Amino acid sequence: MKTIELLINGATHEVSIEADETLLQVLRNRLDLTGTKKGCDSGGCGCCSVQVDGKVVYSCMMYAAGAAGKAITTIEGLGSGGTALDPLQQAFIEAGAVQCGYCTCGMIMNASELLATTKNPSEDQIRHAIAGNLCRCTGYTKIVDAIKLAATRTAG
Amino acid sequence: MALNLEDYFLPASLQEASTLLQRYGDGAMVVAGGTFVHGLEVRGLLTETVALVDISRLGLRGISESGNGGVSLQALTTLAEVGAAPLISRNPAFGSIGDALQYPPRQILNVGTVGGCVAAAAPLYDLPAAFLALDGQVQASLAARQRAIPLNDFFVGLFESALQRGEIITAIELPAPAARSASAFLKLETNANDLSILNVAVRLTLDKDGKCADSRVILGGGVGETYVRATSAEAALRGQTAGEASFAAAAAAVVDDFEAVEDHRASAAYRRHIAQVYVRRTLGTALARLG
Ligand SMILES: Cc1cc2nc3c(=O)[nH]c(=O)nc-3n(C[C@H](O)[C@H](O)[C@H](O)COP(=O)(O)OP(=O)(O)OC[C@H]3O[C@@H](n4cnc5c(N)ncnc54)[C@H](O)[C@@H]3O)c2cc1C
Ligand code: FES
Ligand code: FES
Repeated sequence: MKTIELLINGATHEVSIEADETLLQVLRNRLDLTGTKKGCDSGGCGCCSVQVDGKVVYSCMMYAAGAAGKAITTIEGLGSGGTALDPLQQAFIEAGAVQCGYCTCGMIMNASELLATTKNPSEDQIRHAIAGNLCRCTGYTKIVDAIKLAATRTAG
Repeated sequence: MALNLEDYFLPASLQEASTLLQRYGDGAMVVAGGTFVHGLEVRGLLTETVALVDISRLGLRGISESGNGGVSLQALTTLAEVGAAPLISRNPAFGSIGDALQYPPRQILNVGTVGGCVAAAAPLYDLPAAFLALDGQVQASLAARQRAIPLNDFFVGLFESALQRGEIITAIELPAPAARSASAFLKLETNANDLSILNVAVRLTLDKDGKCADSRVILGGGVGETYVRATSAEAALRGQTAGEASFAAAAAAVVDDFEAVEDHRASAAYRRHIAQVYVRRTLGTALARLG
């Protein structure tokens, strides 16, 4: 075991971990941040997506020890301190982009990087951006609609 | 899952990383973005590894112009950073790099590194094929020694490179492309999560009369243990006017250049067919980029 410091959603967490634990394991099993989901555990589905220094990554493929000192954002860190929803969360609800919900947090963490870097992305850009996130339920149309809706609201 | 793993190190200097790699010898594994290393771990292939040496804090990150128009990509530069660099995206000679970065998901582009995708030495990866078409070379460091290894000599076998134990890639260097050069890349895959069936990277350099002064045709994917340089296809282009006729001749010649793999993804005959189609298409794209 070794002790590391992780900066998650603006707060520092000291955690004792095994050398080979992934960020996903630490988030879910040690810190109870279960919004981030475990699917394939090998980079194939995207439901474990979080942001590290503002970039979307698969937390199942990142060693927690290597994430020390970086700014990690999970779905729990979106919106304003748990009171208001992030525009993406709101748009996913309104557009009906959630069925079972298992992919949703990963989709939103991914789309959140897209909207931070691209104002009013085209449908093509949206579909390309979320290519690493699978949804078994919605058929993607409503997810794309939700991201477009959030984009128009945040473009200002 | 790597049952014997003792520690995860984050050295702050190349020297410190070197010392760790020497101390642990075969028990050490370099981690850059870790996306390939993680794949080894979940397949149970890291059982001998006792120390992961994460080199992401060495500061080897960034893209710069090296003397007279060449480009140096430091080893820890992410694939996304390569794609976003104007030095790369604005130069048609480097078009194959932009093409190769169209395939991996955003989450891999943000984490996977230039050094990692080359060091993995898997002919299934896209970006190294583009680097080969551009005559790239590896800069590697072992303790105090720094050396250059042409990519042509770098890939020795499947997952096997010319790196010595403990040697760290510090950069990939692309020489200044000759005037009137353009490159392109294409990959065939069954779906976004599967391994490549075949990929092709080409570079075309024209003289002032529009004839092929020089070219590279590189094959990857199901072509064997390493990338293949298709010298017959290159020979068919030399001195010919760039256009449909010479591209068709290069496509016809490419089947002599490799032993197509036969597996559940595709038959050898299909791979030979696709190689011809993709050689023609990538050459067409490269020519259009010179337009
Ligand atoms: C879900 C998924 C999808 C992918 N899709 C694609 C795709 O479409 N196209 C494609 O081309 N690739 C694809 N890849 C592969 C990806 O490009 C590589 O995994 C990645 O580039 C490796 O970089 P890394 O920094 O993560 O390497 P790491 O995993 O950190 O390292 C890779 C290997 O190189 C060694 N190493 C790393 N850096 C150095 C260095 N500087 N010096 C010496 N040795 C070093 C490590 O010890 C290890 O053996 C995909 C991977 C995943 C997981
Ligand atoms: S759980 Fe990480 S990509 Fe599937
Ligand atoms: S809503 Fe069920 S997986 Fe996407």
